[in-house]
Amino acid sequence: MRPVKVERQAAFVLHSRPYRETSLVVEAITRDYGRMALVAKGVRRPRSAMRGVLMGFQPLEITWSGKGDVVTLHNAEWQGGQPLLQGRALLCGYYLNELLINLLPREDAHEQLFEHYSTTLQTLSASETHDAAFFSAALRRFEKRLLGELGYGLMLAHDTSGQPIAADIRYLYEMESGPRIIADSSASAGTISGQTLLDMDAESFDNPVTLIESKQLMRSLMAFYLNGRQLHSRRLFEELADL
Amino acid sequence: MSATLESLIEALRCLPGVGPKSAQRMAYHLLQHDREGAARLGFALDSAINRIQHCERCNTYTETSVCDRCQSDRRDTSVLCVVETPVDLNMVEQTQAYNGLYYVLMGRISPLDGFGPRNLRLEQLVARASDGLVKEVILATNFTNEGEATAHFVSELLKRQGLKVSRIARGVPVGGELEFVDSGTLAQALRERRRLES
Ligand SMILES: [Zn+2]
Repeated sequence: MRPVKVERQAAFVLHSRPYRETSLVVEAITRDYGRMALVAKGVRRPRSAMRGVLMGFQPLEITWSGKGDVVTLHNAEWQGGQPLLQGRALLCGYYLNELLINLLPREDAHEQLFEHYSTTLQTLSASETHDAAFFSAALRRFEKRLLGELGYGLMLAHDTSGQPIAADIRYLYEMESGPRIIADSSASAGTISGQTLLDMDAESFDNPVTLIESKQLMRSLMAFYLNGRQLHSRRLFEELADL
Repeated sequence: MSATLESLIEALRCLPGVGPKSAQRMAYHLLQHDREGAARLGFALDSAINRIQHCERCNTYTETSVCDRCQSDRRDTSVLCVVETPVDLNMVEQTQAYNGLYYVLMGRISPLDGFGPRNLRLEQLVARASDGLVKEVILATNFTNEGEATAHFVSELLKRQGLKVSRIARGVPVGGELEFVDSGTLAQALRERRRLES
């Protein structure tokens, strides 16, 4: 049971939308209470103290009270220390938020996931000089841990028959079951090399082939768990690539 | 309830933040206490809808195909300032520190609301900025995540056209004593510090 009043809880705003004339409904991820919805009354007034604080990707401490699905936010304080996300890092941040909003059930506490989300944002925000590969690696790590936390952990060390993954064999990753050896070992569409699986297991994304193949695998896994829901942030990535 | 009254209440609900209750209150107020005001409102809405359009050059609201500001010969045609809304344009104008021209996006990219670049008239911006006179495009979108996402997309778009793009700076407000500045602003001001010329 969640207490009626919770003070100074570590949190990040995932999204907010206008509510009534001057308020917001804030979707947030908190360290101890998971994802929740809070009403922030009057924060869209020009002189509201919380107006500029309730910004996504910034570490906050929030205080709320109430029972039920939507509680009342009383206070939010910026914890500092993290530059604002810019450029590509910002788009990656939106992608993380969209995954959490779509896949993480409300009020399901995942302290480790919260920490990992926080670390990923730090990585992204400190990365102004890094290239696309750097961002991809950060996203793949997050996706892998997210699936693990949600109970959809990937099978990366053994194949479906229980044999250890071999680097030079190709596999077909079957949803909710794992990598299955395929007879034809050519790099056909939808298959993945044993090396990529092992690299993903070790969270090592230095190899360009690993980066490409893990992106394809994660994309089909995410599509599977998103169950038809489309991600706006992914579309934005594509629109940017099409310029 | 009369059908006319019902449709008035329904129509008022198109205003942001107006639910069925307040729409009903507004309708009764207009009919009961301010019929003259209601007539003025109706007339004003009608003429606004018929006359106000987007400026072909800067996209702001105007009654002519090209607004007065875009037609003025006292403006510096080499700089173009991109803002989110006409209100933001007015704020920049009030500074009297800028004599260039504008482009008003009439919105921002807000990825998680499904509001993307396709919802802004960016082809028109590209055409405007590529008129051969514009030497620099200044991005003055908000310092929110959405404003930042918009600035990123627009800058990538314009840079591919070979245009020089800059972003307005952020920092401690004029007359701002550090003691009273919010720590987010101060932190960003420290990161974006600049060297003093000797
Ligand atoms: Zn104009």
